[in-house]
Amino acid sequence: MPPAYLFLLLSGALFTMGAVGFLVRRNPLVVFMCIELMLNAVNLAFAAESRFLNSLDGVVFAFLVITVAAAEVVVGIAIIVQVYRAGRQMDVDGLDLMKE
Amino acid sequence: MDTIAPFVLLSPLAGFLINAIFGRQLPRRVVGWIGAGSVGIAFIFSLNLLLQLLTGAQPLDQTYFTWWQSGDFSVPFNLYVDRLSTLMILVITGVGFLIHVYSIGYMREDPGYSRFFAYMNLFVLSMLLLVLAGNLVWLIIGWAGVGLSSYLLISFWFERTSAVLAGRKAFVMNTIGDVGMIFAAFLIFLNLRVMDYRGLFERVHQLPKGGAVITAICLLLLVGAVAKSAQLPLHTWLPDAMEGPTPVSALIHAATMVTAGVYLVARMHMLYDWAPAAAATVAVIGGVTAIFAATIGTSQIDIKRILAYSTMSQIGYMFLAVGLGAYAAGMFHFMTHAFFKALLFMAAGNVIHAFQDDQDIRHMGNLRAGLPITFWTFLIGTLSISGFPLLAGFFSKDEIIRAALNAAGGEFWLGVLALVTAGLTAYYMFRLFFIAFGWEWLAHDDRHLHEAPPVQTVPIIILATGAVVGGYIPIASFLSPVFGPAGEVGIGAFLSLAALSVLAALIGFSLAYLLHARRPDLAVAWRTRLGPIHTLVEHKYYIDELYDWVFVRPALAFARFLNGVIETRVIDGAVNGLANFTVVEAREFRLIQTGRLRSYALWTLGGAIGVVVIVAGFLGYLPWRLGG
Amino acid sequence: MVVAFAILAAWELVTAAGVVGFRRPIYNALSLVANMLGLAVLFLILNAQFLFAAQVIVYAGAVMVLFVFIIALLNPGSDLTLGRSGNEWIYGVVFGVIFAALLGGLLFNRGLTGRQGSSSPEAINAVGNVQAIGTALYTKFLFPVEVASVLLLIAAVGAVYLAMRRIR
Repeated sequence: MPPAYLFLLLSGALFTMGAVGFLVRRNPLVVFMCIELMLNAVNLAFAAESRFLNSLDGVVFAFLVITVAAAEVVVGIAIIVQVYRAGRQMDVDGLDLMKE
Repeated sequence: MDTIAPFVLLSPLAGFLINAIFGRQLPRRVVGWIGAGSVGIAFIFSLNLLLQLLTGAQPLDQTYFTWWQSGDFSVPFNLYVDRLSTLMILVITGVGFLIHVYSIGYMREDPGYSRFFAYMNLFVLSMLLLVLAGNLVWLIIGWAGVGLSSYLLISFWFERTSAVLAGRKAFVMNTIGDVGMIFAAFLIFLNLRVMDYRGLFERVHQLPKGGAVITAICLLLLVGAVAKSAQLPLHTWLPDAMEGPTPVSALIHAATMVTAGVYLVARMHMLYDWAPAAAATVAVIGGVTAIFAATIGTSQIDIKRILAYSTMSQIGYMFLAVGLGAYAAGMFHFMTHAFFKALLFMAAGNVIHAFQDDQDIRHMGNLRAGLPITFWTFLIGTLSISGFPLLAGFFSKDEIIRAALNAAGGEFWLGVLALVTAGLTAYYMFRLFFIAFGWEWLAHDDRHLHEAPPVQTVPIIILATGAVVGGYIPIASFLSPVFGPAGEVGIGAFLSLAALSVLAALIGFSLAYLLHARRPDLAVAWRTRLGPIHTLVEHKYYIDELYDWVFVRPALAFARFLNGVIETRVIDGAVNGLANFTVVEAREFRLIQTGRLRSYALWTLGGAIGVVVIVAGFLGYLPWRLGG
Repeated sequence: MVVAFAILAAWELVTAAGVVGFRRPIYNALSLVANMLGLAVLFLILNAQFLFAAQVIVYAGAVMVLFVFIIALLNPGSDLTLGRSGNEWIYGVVFGVIFAALLGGLLFNRGLTGRQGSSSPEAINAVGNVQAIGTALYTKFLFPVEVASVLLLIAAVGAVYLAMRRIR
C-alpha cells in the first residue's frame, strides 16, 4: 500500500490540471469537463483520507459529491443547450452579459 | 412658605408660555393683561412671603427635587427665601408689574405685541429664578436666562441693524461674565464640594481668610457681576442696549437685571467679607464707574442714553456700598433707584412717543403744557436722584457716601469721589430736564403734543410716590437678620454729611440752570473752550473704539482665517477627500466585474491559493508560524 | 500494490492531460471517461468498493453518457474555429504552476493529520462495505442525504424548465 501522501499528491495533480484546463479552454463543454475532473480529484482525496484514518466519513462524503455533481451537470448542460439554441457562439469569453 | 414660593416663579412662567404659544391668536388686550397680570400675581405672592417673614417665619431653604446627581455632585432645585431675596422679588415684581402695565399702552401699536410680553415674562421668570435660587447652579441658570431675555428684548425690533448689533454686543459681554461665574463655581466646588448656599456659607470659613482661593472666587464672581451690571470695564453694552423699547430699558436696564451684580455680591457677602482684597476691588470699580459714567452723561444728547449712563453711575454707587461691606446701604439704594429710574425711563418713553420716536433732547423742550403729568413726575424723579432733601435718593445716597467716608484707608477717597459724583449727577440730570422739558412754565404750546393715556401715566405716578417716600422704608433694619445690625448714626454726623451732599447737589443744579436754562450761550462757549476734553467725553473716552481694535478686529480676523483656511481646506478637504477616495477606489474595483467566466475563475482560484497558504500557516507547515 | 498504483497514477495523469488538451470535444469526453474508470480502480485499492461501483454506474455511466449525447447533439466545433484566443492562457498556466508547487511542497512526505477513527478496513469488510456505508448514510449522515435528494429534485425541475423555454 503506497503511503498516503502519494494519493494526495496525485489528487492535487489532477486538481491542478483541471483548474488549468478550466482557465485555458474556451469551449463551455470542455470547461465543464474540467470541473468534473476537479471534483473527481477531490473524491480521490476523500477516499484516501477515509482509508488511512479508518473512518467512513470520507467515502460517504465522496458519494454525496457524486450526487451533487450529477445534479449540477444536468442543470449546466441545460443552460449550455439554451445558449447554443440562442445562436450564440460556444465561447465562454463571449458570454459576458453580466459585466459591470 | 414653602408652598407659596414656587408660585412666585410659576406665575410668570405661565404668562410666558401662554403668550408665547397662543399669543398671536389671542386679542391684544388679553395678551397684555396676561403678561402684566402674571407679574402682578407674583407680586401678591411675594407680599405674602414678606408678611410671613415679618411675622416671624424662618427663612426658607427648601429643596423641591433633585435636578442632577452624578457621584457626589448633586444639584437640587431649591429656593432660598430670606429677607434679602424677598426684598429683591418685591421690587422685581412690583416695579415689573407697573412697567408691564405701562407697556400695554406703550407697545399697543407694535406688531410684535405678544412676542414682547412673552419675552418680558421670560425675563421676569429668569430674574426671579436668579434671586430665589438656593444654589449656585440655578443662580447661573437664572443669570443666563436674564442674559438671553435681555438679548431678545434689545434686538426686539430685529429689522433694525443697530438693534441687532446692540443685542449681540450685550450678549457677548454678558457671556464673558458668565464664563467668570462658571469658573468661580468650579473653584467653589473644587475647594468646598458644595454648590448650595447653606453648605457654602457654612464651609466658607474653612478657606484661609484673604487667601488666593477665596480671592480668586470673589474676583471671578465679580467678573460676572461687572458684565451683568455694566460696570467698568465691561460696560459698553449698556448705552447700546437703549435700542430696545423703552419699557425694556426701564425694567431690565435700570431696575432689575443690571442690579443682579449687586445682588450677587450681597448674597455672597460672607465670601466677600472673607476676601478683603476682592471686596476692595468691588468698591473701587463701583466708585470709578460712578464718576466715569457721570462725566459721560454730561455730554450726551439722546434722552435714553443719558439715563443709561445715569444707571451705570448709580449702580457704581451700589457696588461701592457692597464693596465696603455696607450691604444694606447698597440694597437700600437699589430699591430707591428702581423707583426713580424706572419712573424716569417711563416718562422719557412718553416724551419719545409724543415726538414720534425722536430721542434727541435738543428737539424737545417746553413740555409742561402738553405733557403735564409726565413733566411733573419726571421732575420728581430728577429731584430724587439728585439727592433733594427728604426724597428717597437723598437718604439712600447719603448712606453710601457715609459708609465710604467712614472707611479706613484708601476707601475714604472713594467717598470723596462719590460726593463729586453726586454733584455731577445733579448737573447732568437737570441739564437733561432743562433741555428736554424746559424751564419756562409757558401755558401755550403749538406743537399739539398729547399726554399719554392713563395706562402709561398711572404707573409713573405710583413710582413717583415711591421716589418721594421710599426713603423712609427701614431697609437697614429689615435686612439686619441677613447682614447684621444696622449701625447707629449720630444726628450730628447725619446732618453734617447731609449738608455736604446737598451742597454738592446745589452746585450741580445751579450750574445746570445757568448753562442750560439761563445762558445757553455760555454752554456753547464752554464747550468750545474745553474742546478736546468735551470730544473725549462725548465719545465715551473712546473705549468702544479701543475694544474694537484690541479685541474685535483680531477676533474677526482669526474667524476669517478659520473659515477660509481651516474650514475649507482642512475640514472640507478631509471630508471631501474621504468621499473622493471612496469614489476613486470604487471605480477601480468595478473593473473586476468583467462578466467573463475566465477572469472570475482566475480570481476565485487565486483566492483558493491564498486560503491554502493561510491554512498552511496556521497548521505550521510554513517556515513562519501564523497564529496558532 | 505499489506497482498497480504506479500504473494507475500514470494512467490518470495521461488521461487528465487528454481532458485538458484535446481540441475536439468528443476526445475530451472520452478521455474523461477513461479517467473516471481509472479512478474507480483506485477506489478499489483504497477499499472503497461501494464508491467504485457508484463511480462507474453513476459518474462514468450516466453523467458522462449525458456529456457524450450533448456533444453529439450539438456538434460543437473545435476551439480552432473560434477567434483569436489572446494571451490569457498564460495566467492559467502561471496559476497552475504556482498551485502545483504549493501543493507539492505542502503534501510531500507528510502524513495525514487527523483523528483515527474506528472503521479499519478489516472492520468494514467484516460487515460488508455496502452495509457499512448504508448504515452510516441513514444514521450519521441522514440530513445530508435528505438535502441531496431535494437538490436532485430541484435539478430535475430546473432542467425541465430550462429545456422548455422558448427562445426568442
